[in-house]
Amino acid sequence: MTFDFNMMNIFLLALFLAAGVWTVLTSRLLISAIGLAVTSIMLTILLFLMKAPLAGVFELSVCAGLITVVFISTISLTKPVEKSEVLQLKMKRLKRFVFLPLLLFLAAWVLFAKPLHLTNPAQVPVEQTTLQHVLWFARRFDLIGQILIILTGVFGVIVLFKTKTGQAEKQDNER
Amino acid sequence: MSVLLILVPLAAVLIMNLPLHKLMRKLAFWVGLVLCMLQAVLIIRMPIGFWNTQPDLLYRLLLFRPFTDNLAFVMFLSIAIVGFVSLLVARYAIENDGSKLFNFTNLLLLAMAGMNGLVVSRDLFSLYVFLEVSAVASFILIAFNNGKDALEGTFKYLVLSAVATAMILSAIGLLMTVTGSVSFKTLSSVMGPNSGNPVVLLAVALLLGGLFIKSGLVPFHGWVPDAYSSAPSATSILLAGIVTKTTGVYALIRVVTKMNLLTHQVQVLVMAVAAVSIVVGALAALGQSDFKRMLAYSSISQVGYIILGLGIGSNLALAGAVFHLFNHAIFKSLLFVNAAAVEKQTGTRNMDILGGISDKMPVTGFTSVIAFLSTAGIPPLSGFWSKLIIIIAAWKAGFHVYALIAILASLLTLAYFLSMQRRVFFGKLASGFEDLKEANLWILVPACLLAAITIGLGLCIPWLLNSFLLPIRSIL
Amino acid sequence: MIPAYIKIMPIIFPVFAGLAVLMLEKKRNEIMCAWTCFIATAINLLLCASMFGKEWDLIVPWGGMFDFNFSLRLYHFSSFILLASAGFGFLISLYSFSFMNGKEKINQFYSYFLITIGLVNGAVLADNLIVMLFFWEGLLLTLFGMIVIGNKTAFRTAIKAFIISGIADLCMMVGIALTIHLAGTMSMSEIHLQISSKTAAAAFLFLMIGAIAKAGSMPFHSWIPDAAIDAPLPFMALIPAALEKLLGIYFLARISLDLFKIGTNSLLSTIMMTVGCITILLAVMMALIQKDYKRLLSFHAISQVGYMILGIGTAVPAGIVGGIFHMINHAMYKSCLFLTGGSVEKQTGTTDLTKLGGIASKMPITFVCFIVAAASICGVPPFNGFFSKELVYDGALERGRLFYFAAVLGSFFTAASFLKLGHAAFLGKSPDDTAHIKEAPLPMLIPMITIAALCIFFGVWNYFPLRVFIQPILGEHRLEGHDFAGMPTNVMLIVVTLVVIIGSIMNHIWGAEKSGSGLGAADHIHDAPLLHTIYDKAEQRMFDPYEIGMKFASWLAKVTMSIDKVIDYIYNVVVVEFTYAFTGFIRRLHSGSYALYVVWSLLGTLIVVLYIMRKI
Repeated sequence: MTFDFNMMNIFLLALFLAAGVWTVLTSRLLISAIGLAVTSIMLTILLFLMKAPLAGVFELSVCAGLITVVFISTISLTKPVEKSEVLQLKMKRLKRFVFLPLLLFLAAWVLFAKPLHLTNPAQVPVEQTTLQHVLWFARRFDLIGQILIILTGVFGVIVLFKTKTGQAEKQDNER
Repeated sequence: MSVLLILVPLAAVLIMNLPLHKLMRKLAFWVGLVLCMLQAVLIIRMPIGFWNTQPDLLYRLLLFRPFTDNLAFVMFLSIAIVGFVSLLVARYAIENDGSKLFNFTNLLLLAMAGMNGLVVSRDLFSLYVFLEVSAVASFILIAFNNGKDALEGTFKYLVLSAVATAMILSAIGLLMTVTGSVSFKTLSSVMGPNSGNPVVLLAVALLLGGLFIKSGLVPFHGWVPDAYSSAPSATSILLAGIVTKTTGVYALIRVVTKMNLLTHQVQVLVMAVAAVSIVVGALAALGQSDFKRMLAYSSISQVGYIILGLGIGSNLALAGAVFHLFNHAIFKSLLFVNAAAVEKQTGTRNMDILGGISDKMPVTGFTSVIAFLSTAGIPPLSGFWSKLIIIIAAWKAGFHVYALIAILASLLTLAYFLSMQRRVFFGKLASGFEDLKEANLWILVPACLLAAITIGLGLCIPWLLNSFLLPIRSIL
Repeated sequence: MIPAYIKIMPIIFPVFAGLAVLMLEKKRNEIMCAWTCFIATAINLLLCASMFGKEWDLIVPWGGMFDFNFSLRLYHFSSFILLASAGFGFLISLYSFSFMNGKEKINQFYSYFLITIGLVNGAVLADNLIVMLFFWEGLLLTLFGMIVIGNKTAFRTAIKAFIISGIADLCMMVGIALTIHLAGTMSMSEIHLQISSKTAAAAFLFLMIGAIAKAGSMPFHSWIPDAAIDAPLPFMALIPAALEKLLGIYFLARISLDLFKIGTNSLLSTIMMTVGCITILLAVMMALIQKDYKRLLSFHAISQVGYMILGIGTAVPAGIVGGIFHMINHAMYKSCLFLTGGSVEKQTGTTDLTKLGGIASKMPITFVCFIVAAASICGVPPFNGFFSKELVYDGALERGRLFYFAAVLGSFFTAASFLKLGHAAFLGKSPDDTAHIKEAPLPMLIPMITIAALCIFFGVWNYFPLRVFIQPILGEHRLEGHDFAGMPTNVMLIVVTLVVIIGSIMNHIWGAEKSGSGLGAADHIHDAPLLHTIYDKAEQRMFDPYEIGMKFASWLAKVTMSIDKVIDYIYNVVVVEFTYAFTGFIRRLHSGSYALYVVWSLLGTLIVVLYIMRKI
């Protein structure tokens, strides 16, 4: 196996960035949500490859799974934009970048005016451990948390989707 | 044994969902009530030694020894009480078409298990995991009724929570690169020598930022009013009473005290944020006409008091902060219970429409007076004592300006609550509410219970102070 | 070891009984209220009797950070006062059975009655100055409540009583604060201050004002005559006549014997004696011209306080023993007199002396009780008032002839006014429609007879109260080896007293013949050239410190009102507008856009990061 991990990483990073940009820039919320999920999945794969399985697991379960569920359920309640409003909304979308210069300025200030001397701190030897090992021996307690999250997610799906159809119709009728 | 507080609700949820019998689904509500009561009773009855011992079997199963002290006790007790009340209110407010109440009970138990886990955790990563559990459970609880407002509130909470999570996770990662461990024990010993290390400082800053968002302090509070006011009544109680307090405030107190973070710099920062929250929260509450939204802003202001106590950092201040945390759980839950009753009986939360309904709903009106007097810090109710302790501690520690701010903001608290009380409960009955009836027992029982706790604690303060509150210094 | 809950019982029990009474529905439960009150006072009496002569402390830490203890202390003096007040409470609750029957707001009356007893017990037992102040101030509320439930004009009187007592209590609060500051402790049993500085003198004076105002001395007296007319009569017999005297003089004795050491010949002692003499004379002069049974008695209630203050103010053993003895004697005969007044009012429907007369034959027992009590107050041997007054005279004479002279003169007028009262009310011609008048019912007679009998007992066997109750209060070293029991040793004093009494009788006979009726027996004093104008003005309340104060207050109110308007403007307009502007601003900031909120959070975090990393 002479697979070039570095190339793989860079490729995934690029994908990750692309998905992120796509998420922010797309005008349709549903696509944006799917973009978010893709971003999360990319990040998860990256984390696994970079030997951080623990973070990977949580990223996958929390961000990719549950948050997307809630996002989509929110979005499904919104109405599609009418054509007359599109131009207005485009203007609005530009407004969200108002703070960008400020952020950029502050970031630049942090990075350049007061440079962080990131002298490499006490380097911790990376243990060659597998995912199973980490989960089963070092962090068994957190597994309970993991179980809880998954259960909660299941209930989230039940609550938000099972009863949704009837609910939405009722609301439409009310309007 | 405190691990059982996580395992038992988890087991209960699993068993209830086995496809055994339809009876289980009907029993779920009662199972939830009994579990909450059991937690409260056991916490009061059992000595601290009981909670810190653990059978060998449990240890081998979990490879974990829990951590229980007086602060954890206060949290367990608040969680149990608020959970209990929230469940009763759910019975009242959520129309019981079988599955809804069942789902609510399950989610509540999961959230409780998550919060209990957060309280016993001994390292930063477990803290984060259980933080997520409670957060996810509360997302779903807010969006429970699938209404548009509720989903919007969930969405805001979700987005800001995600930001907070990202910050906390980054902080954990950064700390891990430096120390190679996430347990509080290791971190606290490492903090001192590494206090100049930029990576550590960045981690600390991110951690604080993330927890500030979770606590809903100004200017990190954007999600609080929407989430609190759009959630179903029962969820509002849970959220305002305990979820924010555990995931944000408790985590902040635990992290700051366990990791010895309270340097002068952090102290100034924490106190400044607290003071801004106190004032801005109170001022914003003054301008609200939505009952629950006003309560939400009031929460921001009260959390400011707790954090102020944390920032002062003396034993007395911490005791006051923890006491106020508990009191706040009690009286804010009570106010939300009253809001639930008002909303359900009148069909509106708009204070401009309501008026004079105290005649028709005497118990609700009366308990609401108790709760807001306690919040505003009127003796001899419990809220007075906790605020007094915090203010005295601030004065003793030399933070005279902060003490003054705390006192003046108390006046603002009184102002907005008086205006609320006048607009909703007192005065002439507003037109359209002639046939109004008092809410039923499902809501009067918790309201009276909470009011009794508020009064009782206020009267028992001498004993409470010496026997329970001052020993909280042991967390230092 | 007496358990703590028994120790606080004298406070808790009456208060809770009182609250229970308040909860009874008033219409149906008049009898229930009366019985509850009677039984509660009986239990209280037993409780206090069982505590008499014991000594204990109760210290409950109250709030760890303030070094503040809820502490009670029972010792000889406090157990004596406790017993006395419980005794009066018991007898007067029995009396109220008949007297209050059919009155309005009866449950409130009994409730305040019991709460008052509880609070008095608390104030007597308290060993911490702040705790004592708490009970002391609590009495203000029941005082107000008990006056207010009287007749229609009672509200005004209640306000008056409240303000006067409130001002006095305020003075006492200042005194307590100064004392705590000087002594460095709140515990009364640990405070023994010397009056060495001006601050200490001021502290003592403030405390003294509180104490003598509670006892009803001038110039804090003016609500008592008004209350005599307006408030229910058992209230008068219980509170201004008995409990407040006991409490006020108890505290006065505590501060001048224990907390501070008042030396003979000190300025403070002279001040106290002067206040005492002025109170004796002025009040008795006013009493002389009254034409109402109860109002006349109430002026005597003020006048007699003068003797107690004079006695304690002398700071010599005879005077102090006399003052405290006079306190208990006065409580007895004055409540007895009020009770006779009550039964006259109940049976005839009036207390106006011009409409009364010749009822001695109709109400013989009441009349006998009246004679005993009146003889006591006039200082006729061998009744109790004689012995305590002789002791006060003895002490006053030791300090200066002038004080003695004033006290004796007061005695002369006291006798004169009671001769007039007895003559006008019980003897003389009877008005036309007196045929239906009967003797008072038994529950009203028993307390009167009991107290009258005690008046004789305390006089004839005066070594019993003096040796058992009063002399141990001072203790051996303060008594300086004296024993005041038995007949007074100074024969000259007895002779003077007898001469004064005989003179006053002759004066009365002369006056009655001149005016033709018992009521007019004092008219020649009333109409004396200079006195007449003064009396007229006094009757118009020109000298009432309360009225003067109120006039000044209304003037002050006008001035401050104009200042207040400016301040009001600042608060009501400027501050509110500012707050609302700010609130509106914050509201507009919360546009509801989640993106904005995220930006806030991120900016906040950025500031946190920058601030924390500033060091580098």
